[in-house]
Amino acid sequence: MVAGNELKFESPRFFTRIKSMLGVDFYRLFHTPLFYIFLLIAAFIPALILGSGGMENPDGTTSALLYTNVWNAVAANMPLYAFSNIGEYANMNMVFIFGGIMVSIFIGHDYKSGYVKQLFTTHAKKQDYMISKSITCAFAMACMCITYLLGSVAGGLFAGLDFSANVGSLIIAIASKMIMSLGWASLYTFLNVIFRRYFGISIASSFLFGTGLPIIAIGMIFGNEAGSVLNIFLYGSSVYACLGSNIVTLIVCLVVSAAWAAIYNMLGTKLLSKSDVY
Amino acid sequence: MNAIEIRDLSKSFRGMYALDHLNMTVPVGAIYGFIGENGSGKSTTEKLICGHLVPDGGSIKLFGKDYTDSGVRVRVGALIENAGCFPNSSVWMNLMMQAINLNLENREEETRRVLKIVRMEDSSKIKFKSCSLGMKQRIGIAMALLGSPALLILDEPINGLDADGMRIMREILVDITKNYGCTVVIASHLLGELEKIATHYGIIRQGKMIQELSAEEMDGRSQVFASIKTKDMQGAKIILKTKFDNVSEAEGYLRVYDEDDTGSIVGHLLKNGHVVSEISKNKVGLEEYYIELMQAKEGN
Repeated sequence: MVAGNELKFESPRFFTRIKSMLGVDFYRLFHTPLFYIFLLIAAFIPALILGSGGMENPDGTTSALLYTNVWNAVAANMPLYAFSNIGEYANMNMVFIFGGIMVSIFIGHDYKSGYVKQLFTTHAKKQDYMISKSITCAFAMACMCITYLLGSVAGGLFAGLDFSANVGSLIIAIASKMIMSLGWASLYTFLNVIFRRYFGISIASSFLFGTGLPIIAIGMIFGNEAGSVLNIFLYGSSVYACLGSNIVTLIVCLVVSAAWAAIYNMLGTKLLSKSDVY
Repeated sequence: MNAIEIRDLSKSFRGMYALDHLNMTVPVGAIYGFIGENGSGKSTTEKLICGHLVPDGGSIKLFGKDYTDSGVRVRVGALIENAGCFPNSSVWMNLMMQAINLNLENREEETRRVLKIVRMEDSSKIKFKSCSLGMKQRIGIAMALLGSPALLILDEPINGLDADGMRIMREILVDITKNYGCTVVIASHLLGELEKIATHYGIIRQGKMIQELSAEEMDGRSQVFASIKTKDMQGAKIILKTKFDNVSEAEGYLRVYDEDDTGSIVGHLLKNGHVVSEISKNKVGLEEYYIELMQAKEGN
């Protein structure tokens, strides 16, 4: 037996295992175009929505302004679980829809390429996979929140919109939405683990949950007063992070995001441990 | 201590048994040739060892520890079905990712080392999808070799390769086992190729291990025989049967088993008016042994 191949088997500690798995995921995230494409999409959409408002159409009419204040493209003035126009819905929460698609592609490629076999051969603990994917994808979504913000500012400047806001509440709203990325990323990771053999269904299910349709439906039935209950869900808390946010909003988002992340990671780990990888 | 010790391992897919109480023992340092027909359970066994599938029952021990032990699994390298690389990433990037996955300290050095072993130092910048099948197989071996694995699990590593690719792969496998001292399990249909390198064999049929033996045992069990060609094969066969117990006809030759002395065969035939045009000494190879074993099992 050569010296470099002694039969010593030291179990790596939890943080060592997570570090190596995170290392792979971040390396892949930064070295493939997917991440950068989605950052651009996240910047482009608000810039397009805000920048094209008030522009002259080919028929000579002027398109209606969706927002007069640029920060409404980031968050609504108040938590609106049920909305009356698209402007109240289309804000930074859309990042979680694109994010869902990105996570599906990111995780789907693990299975499509067969790389997941390398991961599971060397990582016996399935929780490593769930935790690593959740953190990496949460980071990607948080970055998308930032480019979304930059796109909004660029679009707002182009369209000459109002920039007035309560700076403290605005920062808390943005920070809260970024914190929610963890919960969303964990949900998408879990969905992609469930539908790992079906790439299309993974994307469709992530998209469905990302739109928040189930919560919106409840909001439509019970009205915005049902808000405090709906805040226990990911979409509810994401909506709760509005331009009227305060420190309570931040805490609620932190608790809800962390709690769902823990639940989805636990469920995903259980599922992976009890079922075949492919 | 054995590198792999499997006891009563079972796995079914939709009620159909793929493995039925399989037992398997692979000694440390062995090159274990895992043989069986398509669907016999070779790949399933390998996937179970690597933790890709969940067993229905039984136990798998790797180097005396449960196969779910993180310390052992981090020292397992595998090439099962395909290399498991991202097609749009370069060879280098794929290997680097695996080096990070294994938490190796000297990643670039390690990556260069394994690329050298598989003779692909000059191809590291190529995208994986642009590589030929032979190159992909070698990249798969390189991935499995990162981090000095104690156990290598290879599923059909020489399948689909051309003659040159096969030769390179064989040389690589011999190099790995001789110079890097790890235990290797190779599932393959190419018995002739396997025979050149394996130290142990496991023969699986319908999800059950029907025989495990070392290369020496295999050698001991292999019958020697003389192959003979004459003008009148049928007449010669009758004459040979009068003196030798085990005479048969195969592949256009007469075979006299368990007879080392070709002189006495030629002499006996000549004495009875048969001129021998061709005679050679042979040994039943792995392929023939395997076929005979399978036929015997089918007969049962």
